[in-house]
Formats: sequence, C-alpha cells, structure tokens
Amino acid sequence: MPLAPVEDKVTITELVENPYPLYRRLRSEAPVCAVKAVGRVMLTKASDTRAVKDDPDTWSSDDPNTPMKRAFQAHTLMRKDGEEHKAERGAMMPTFSPRNLKTLWGPAYETFAGRYLDRLPRDEVVDLFPTLAGPLAARILAEILGLPEASDDDMQFWSQALIDGAGNFGWQDEPFERVDRAHMAMNALLEKNVDRYRAEPDQTALSVMINADDPIAWSQIVANIKIAIGGGINEPRDALLTVLYGLLTNPDQLDEVKRSGNWGAAFEEAVRWVAPIQVSARRATRDTEIRGIDLPKDTVVMTIQASANHDEDLFEDGHLFNALRAKNPHQSFGSGPHHCMGAHLARMMLGKIMLPMIFDRFPNMELVDPSSVVWRGFGFRGPLNLPVRLN
Amino acid sequence: MPKVTFIDADGTETTVAAKIGDSVMQTAMAHGIDGITAECGGAMACATCHAYVADDWADKVGPAGETEADMLDFAACEVKPTSRLSCQIVVAENLDGLIVYLPEHQV
Repeated sequence: MPLAPVEDKVTITELVENPYPLYRRLRSEAPVCAVKAVGRVMLTKASDTRAVKDDPDTWSSDDPNTPMKRAFQAHTLMRKDGEEHKAERGAMMPTFSPRNLKTLWGPAYETFAGRYLDRLPRDEVVDLFPTLAGPLAARILAEILGLPEASDDDMQFWSQALIDGAGNFGWQDEPFERVDRAHMAMNALLEKNVDRYRAEPDQTALSVMINADDPIAWSQIVANIKIAIGGGINEPRDALLTVLYGLLTNPDQLDEVKRSGNWGAAFEEAVRWVAPIQVSARRATRDTEIRGIDLPKDTVVMTIQASANHDEDLFEDGHLFNALRAKNPHQSFGSGPHHCMGAHLARMMLGKIMLPMIFDRFPNMELVDPSSVVWRGFGFRGPLNLPVRLN
Repeated sequence: MPKVTFIDADGTETTVAAKIGDSVMQTAMAHGIDGITAECGGAMACATCHAYVADDWADKVGPAGETEADMLDFAACEVKPTSRLSCQIVVAENLDGLIVYLPEHQV
C-alpha cells in the first residue's frame, strides 16, 4: 500500500495563524497526510483520531524526539503508556474525585470567580484575558495542586514557560533557559510545602500524592504537578474566552441559552469550535495502516482533534459556533487512557459556575470590536484578547 | 455468544453478540452503538458510558460500586437506581439477553 502523501507548501506560520483551511482540505483530499512543516503525519478525520487514541497498544504516547522531556526535566505521564502511566495518573486522581469537585473545588472556584468579577470595572473597555480568564484559571489551579502561595503571575509564567519549552521544536536556548528558571522556583515551593502537607494532609494534589500509602517517586510527583501547571491554565482560560466570544457574537443563541440555562452546552460548543488543545502525538508501535495508507513502525502521527471537531461526517457547519447543537461528539478532552483529567473540573467551573455568574452580573456585556480579537495557535489555540464593556 | 440489547432514548433497539469478558461499553463501541461515548476508554474517569439496566436485569447485574457511583454524579442525564457505567459491567454467560437503556446525552 502507498505511504502517506506529502503536503509541503503550508508553513508553520500559516498553521499558527489559522490551521482550519488546511484541515478542511486534508479532510476531503488527504485525511492521512505527511505535513512537512510539522514533520508528522496528520490525521484529520474524527473516526481516525478517535480510533488511534482508543488503541494505545498500537499507538504509544511515547514520542521520543520532542523537546518535552528537556523542558519538563522529566519523562512525564503524558508520554507514558500502560501500567506506568496508570500508576502516575492514579496517584493524582483522588484530588479530582467527584466528591472533591463538589465539596471543595466547586465552592472554592465560586468564591474566587466572584472576587475576580468584583474587581472588573464597569462601563469601560476591559480585556478579559489578563483581567479574568488567565488569573482565575491560575488561582484555582494553584489551590487544587497545593501551591496556594504561588501568585497568579507565577503560575501563568511557569505554565507558559513549560508550554514554550515543550513546544521548542527549534531547540532554541531561550525557552529552555526560561523554563529552567521556572523549575527552580517551582521546585523550591514544592519542597517547602511537603512538610506542611505531611503534618496536615488535605485533598490537594501535592498532599494526596505525598501521603499515599504507596507513594510514587518524588521526581514523578514533581513531574505530575508540573504537567498540571503546564496543562491546566491555558485550557480553561482559552475555553472561557472562546465561549464568551461565541455567545457575544451570536446574541440569538445567548438569549436562548439564558432562557434554557443550558450553559454546559455552550461550553461544550466552545471547546468543539476551537479546541484549546488542538493536536496530540502518537507513535506507531508496529507497522500499521489507516485508510489504505501504510504507516510503518515508529511513524509519529498527529491526531488533529481540532479537525475532528469540524468533521463534516459529524457536524453540520462545523466552522460555525452553535451553542444549540443537538449532538456534540467533540474530542477536545481526548479519549482513551489519557482522557483529560480536568474535564469534569472544567465543565463544572465554566459550564456550571462561571457562565451563569458572569451573565447574571453583567447581563448587557458587549464585545467591543469582534474583528479586533486575535486568534493564535497551532498546538494550543485561543483568543489573545477579548475586549468587552461590562454593564 | 451472549446477546446484549441496547435501547436508545428514541426507543430504537439494537441487539448484538457480545464477547464474554468484554464490558458492555466495549460491546457497544465494537458495534458502533451511538448512545455510548466512552471518552476515557474504560478507566472510570468519565461518565460518558452511562446506561440504565432494564429493571428485570438489575438484580443480576448488581448496583454501581462506590467509585462508580461517585463518578455517576457527572453523568449528563438523570441518574436512577438502575444507572451504571457500562464500562463496569462485564459480559458473562449469565447476562445473555441483557437489556440496557441509553440516556439521551452522554455529555
């Protein structure tokens, strides 16, 4: 059978600006396609991305040739399979239990959300990225992980440093130097907090991991916390900005959601429409094939959930935000063993708490100039600004 | 092979042959049953394979375990006494003829 066709025209700059036109073309012309700009075989159809994620025996998460290990100073659970992955994920899971979400993190988020909304000025233009979405996502994560002393700025700086380091495919010095500085600060805080949580255990991730009956290695505890920092701020931040953009630019839908109270559906639609994490990597553990295309052992594919979420086979007008869709089988939280651990937390924070709260408080919120909103990102994607007038 | 019948929210029935040892969720996925999403693939980390066991089968299948019952709090549709995560029901000879009802949504 043939190898994947090669797309060698698109540039990484174009993908960062807007990858959706390429995905639309690939879905119809070459759903299994080697894209030179990223050095990976892209899978752009929903059934293929899902099948790959659901078959971890054939598709390993361990993609050895990425800057992630260097950036995280560790081989993390994101890039592990099987029992090893399960043990490290399981160590952190009690923190995210339904009971903790309901009794601890939900009420904590509600308090912070109220406080951060109180600070916003009325009747003037305010950008919700730096004033609300970023800091609030950082705050709740710091509390859940067991790093309450970390400031919102610290958390956001560390998160961005980890992301930029992990995405430093050009192997430049600056992102690694920056993330190394972040590690020094994170390590110092983690070590400082260990004694306290040994003495007074609670349900935070750090406490749960160090106080487990059979704890995982300290190096993996640290790596888990850093994965959560790197992967737990930008997604809820970008999802909030995206859902607000979607609702504010579709006032009919907003009216209907206000009437029905189905804010959860609006949240799901936002993460479908522009998936905060757009792509994932998997490596073939054996010779295999998809749609009649040979994928030899060690081929690294990118499952493009951003594209799966717009797949014409599943969604009508997938390029449009529609909070009133009857069905929304998006893949933004992934599937299989690496299914997003924060999925329920995100659904609760945004769908159950933030959206009703912000529209209750500012029922006439307006997006000032929708065309000034800048969307960026290939691996992670979201708005860089969201100028609104609150009233 | 034991037969399992899925009845979706519209009342459409699909009966399939299930492999012993597979979960009811895996059986649904293997046969393309739409009403089961199963985001986490059976790790009991989501609640997107929610199903209602038919009353006649509820005793034989048994109730949800503690962790499973907690996770059912995240189910998108109403949780009833017969609610289970279908990833936690293992197909066995004595479940031949099992009937499960599917909720309207999983997310």
